[in-house]
Amino acid sequence: MATVLRQALFSGIRASCSTPTSSIVGVRTLGTSRNSHAKEEKGVDGSRVALKEASDAVIEVHDPYRVNKKIVVQGPNDLAPVVGVPEEHLKERSVRIFRPAKNAMQSGTAGVRRWKIEFDTRQRWENNLMGWASSGDPLSNMQIDFASKEEATAFVEKHGWSYWVEDPKERAPKVKSYALNFAWNRRTRKSTK
Amino acid sequence: MAARQTARITREVRPLLSLDNHEARLRVLGLYRAWFRQIPYMVRQYSLIVDEDMARAKLRQKFMEHAHVQDIRVIDMLVVKGQQDLKEVAENWAMPTHIISKFFKVTVDDRPKDFMSKFLSGQD
Repeated sequence: MATVLRQALFSGIRASCSTPTSSIVGVRTLGTSRNSHAKEEKGVDGSRVALKEASDAVIEVHDPYRVNKKIVVQGPNDLAPVVGVPEEHLKERSVRIFRPAKNAMQSGTAGVRRWKIEFDTRQRWENNLMGWASSGDPLSNMQIDFASKEEATAFVEKHGWSYWVEDPKERAPKVKSYALNFAWNRRTRKSTK
Repeated sequence: MAARQTARITREVRPLLSLDNHEARLRVLGLYRAWFRQIPYMVRQYSLIVDEDMARAKLRQKFMEHAHVQDIRVIDMLVVKGQQDLKEVAENWAMPTHIISKFFKVTVDDRPKDFMSKFLSGQD
């Protein structure tokens, strides 16, 4: 994701920092941008000056010096400031993490080998004219599958929702055998017809 | 609610733009200054119903909203988004109503909070 974003956002921006000490050069570019555009300010349309300066706020990201660089962050991932979800849907919602129940018919269990998340129920109402079910809740129909409980938990945590995990009750399958009906030590065996 | 176990974990990640706090800070300051200098042109160009002082106060408020953010990647992403907004304004891609509705929200009513006002507005 990050690479695509970068290319999309900064394809037009070419700052002068291709040397190995680019971080220092970049910092200098940021710091002195005001002076460097002082000349343009007279000739060019004034409203473009600030924009040019904003472009300088990001420096060359395809810099060889920066490739494979890592930074250290502490604490949980918190996407809340950048996801763009309204605050009321980040802070006031609670999430249930669960595994879907098996169909009671003779279907297989492939559909239950996943974890899902579900939000608390918000106001719903019936359409007066047609009787359709309505809701103003954008998260009510969100369907996301996760391979594991940990993945679901991490997803919910990084969005900052409060949550609880509902572990399914594991049931040991009953041993069923036709032959047991005729076991010598069971009451199931009948001596006569 | 389950305990947040990842709270104290320190880990190495790929950066978005900045390699350290200082660099991220310079980006934020650069964006703030660019917005600050754009505001007079914005107000004039779009004939906004807000004046420059209100716009500057809103600018400051928008930056202070995220003062608590520590993650360098999140700071960078916020800078990128702020820059996108600035570009839209400066390039005349936005419309006055976009600016007003996005940043000032004059038409948005507060949601009812206490029981009585929720009841009267017909929401639970």
